Amino acid sequence: MNEIIIAILRSGTPLIYVTLAGVIAQRAGVWNLGLEGLMIIGACATIVGIMLTNSIVAALLIAILMCVAASVLLWFVIDRLKANPIIAGLGLTGLGVGGTALAVQSIFGSQASVTAPFGLPKLGPAFGAYGVLSISVAAMPFVVFGMWVLLRRTRFGLRLAACGEHPFAARSVGANPSRMRLVALAIGGVLCAIGGAELAAGSLQFFAQGMTAGRGFMAFAAVIFGASHPVGATFAALFFAVVGALGIRAQLMFGDKIPHDLLQALPYLATVFGVWLSGKLRGGAKAASSFAELKDQ
Amino acid sequence: MKDSLFTVARSLVFVVFALVLCALVFQFAGYNALTMLWAVADGAFLRSGAIEQSLRWALPLFITAVGVGISFRAGFFNIGAQGQFYVGAICAAFAAEAFKGGPAFLVIPALILSGMLGGALWALWPGLLRLRSGTDEVITTLMGNFMAGLLLVYVTSGPLKDPSGSGQQASSRPLDAAYRISDSLGLSPTIIAIAAAVGILMWLLVNRTAFGVLASLAGRNGTMVEWQGARLWKLGLSSFLISGALAGLAGTIEFMGPNGRIASGFLPAHGFTAILIALVANLSVLGTAAAAVFFGGLASAALYLPIMAGLPAAAIDIINAAIALFITARSKFVDRVLRLGGRPQ
Repeated sequence: MNEIIIAILRSGTPLIYVTLAGVIAQRAGVWNLGLEGLMIIGACATIVGIMLTNSIVAALLIAILMCVAASVLLWFVIDRLKANPIIAGLGLTGLGVGGTALAVQSIFGSQASVTAPFGLPKLGPAFGAYGVLSISVAAMPFVVFGMWVLLRRTRFGLRLAACGEHPFAARSVGANPSRMRLVALAIGGVLCAIGGAELAAGSLQFFAQGMTAGRGFMAFAAVIFGASHPVGATFAALFFAVVGALGIRAQLMFGDKIPHDLLQALPYLATVFGVWLSGKLRGGAKAASSFAELKDQ
Repeated sequence: MKDSLFTVARSLVFVVFALVLCALVFQFAGYNALTMLWAVADGAFLRSGAIEQSLRWALPLFITAVGVGISFRAGFFNIGAQGQFYVGAICAAFAAEAFKGGPAFLVIPALILSGMLGGALWALWPGLLRLRSGTDEVITTLMGNFMAGLLLVYVTSGPLKDPSGSGQQASSRPLDAAYRISDSLGLSPTIIAIAAAVGILMWLLVNRTAFGVLASLAGRNGTMVEWQGARLWKLGLSSFLISGALAGLAGTIEFMGPNGRIASGFLPAHGFTAILIALVANLSVLGTAAAAVFFGGLASAALYLPIMAGLPAAAIDIINAAIALFITARSKFVDRVLRLGGRPQ
């Protein structure tokens, strides 16, 4: 039993951090499809940072700096240049995936992967079987709670939601939607950096090209599935992790009788179902944007 | 005419922005940016035989991109071209197993049709969900891409597995040479003819039929079109189906032409590139043809870079991504410079 919970926490924690980044962007009215790119930048920067500085704190700072910078670039393109957030987000993802591949290749010369001498600090033997987990796993529930307080119980969070839902009304009470989006995306950048760091340096200690493998998109799906509520989205992300862990478990138990690749599709199917259901319950989901509409602006 | 020239100029300005950003990324990653960009241009268009290679990549991309343009025009953000491309290829591969041994002049059209049907099918369910229940198509088509990718892995390592294949990448059994529509170089009269037919038909559909006009209007103002008596859901579903069928057709061409088989995770960037092409072309069919040649060139340069110039192929992904970042941007400043202080918007 312990093993399964550890496996779920290990695969779920990076996803949850990135999901929270998606939640805060979503509440500010930005569909952040750049999460995948931000996450891989965070993962790569952490490992490269450890290699270069030999310090986990410095490595984390580098990762956060890179992710925030990438987020600000996304904000600039979406907010200042009025680009379509979906296409721009996909572009940022491409930049992240391609850029990290290029960086690893140019710094270390090998195509495959980079292994660091150490990763994030572990909880230690005091926690028994759970001692193998990293401190960011233990910090995760507090971060989720903190995000809930920030988004639902502070002036900032409520203004943020107002800016996302009705920028015009928010402006009339003195909020600045553009600056709010910048802050939201920057906080998201920090969270993505931690998520990426946990992915690459939490239980593993290496970075491989394309190692996020769609986790950023899955986090985005969790945001939608969890109706962009920090706790709801966290449970959605956790659900994806559970499905993933059970898929591996089923593979071990039943061997080749259940096609593993089709089981892996379950989270995606669940997302489609969840989005459909939330649309039904709330009387039709709001369409993200339409390109033709943008063209007319 | 002047307006469309203006939009093309605006696209180009942002493509230049994107290239500058790429140059920065290359420089930052430790490469000489000028050498890199020159090698890309060389691989895409300048070296001998490059144009043929670029066209080989451009034609399937053009077909998918025209379809993407149709659904974007109608106001539906169908970003599921990649999944529709895969499912089309998968259906064609299954059909190839079923019709094995038949006369080529019957089997080839049957395979192409089943590929188009497969692609349309993969666009049908997001379309229905969108039009019946208002489920956002961005998410459903994105999820559809992942599911189709996994389906491809399953099919190539399960039902259609080639037992003699190498362990590295699972792939289907090769298509009978009699049913191939091109050699592995991928540029044959059949493929050119299919692409030309798609181009002409879609140009007519968009510019010379009531459907095209109404669908474009529906993308701008659905309510108005509904009030004029057109069926919005019919227009919407048709545009979903057309874009799916065209992506499926492109997948089928890759299967029956240059590849001759389907492999797990083949051409993973096809759908994304096609979306870019449609956006760079501002959704016009003629513009799509021009943009497809450009991006086809980049795709062929991706193969050339690591072998001939010793540079990583990821450079091309970065160029594509940077263009994506900027292509839908509009800036008042750029507009003003382009119009040279001309009439206000």
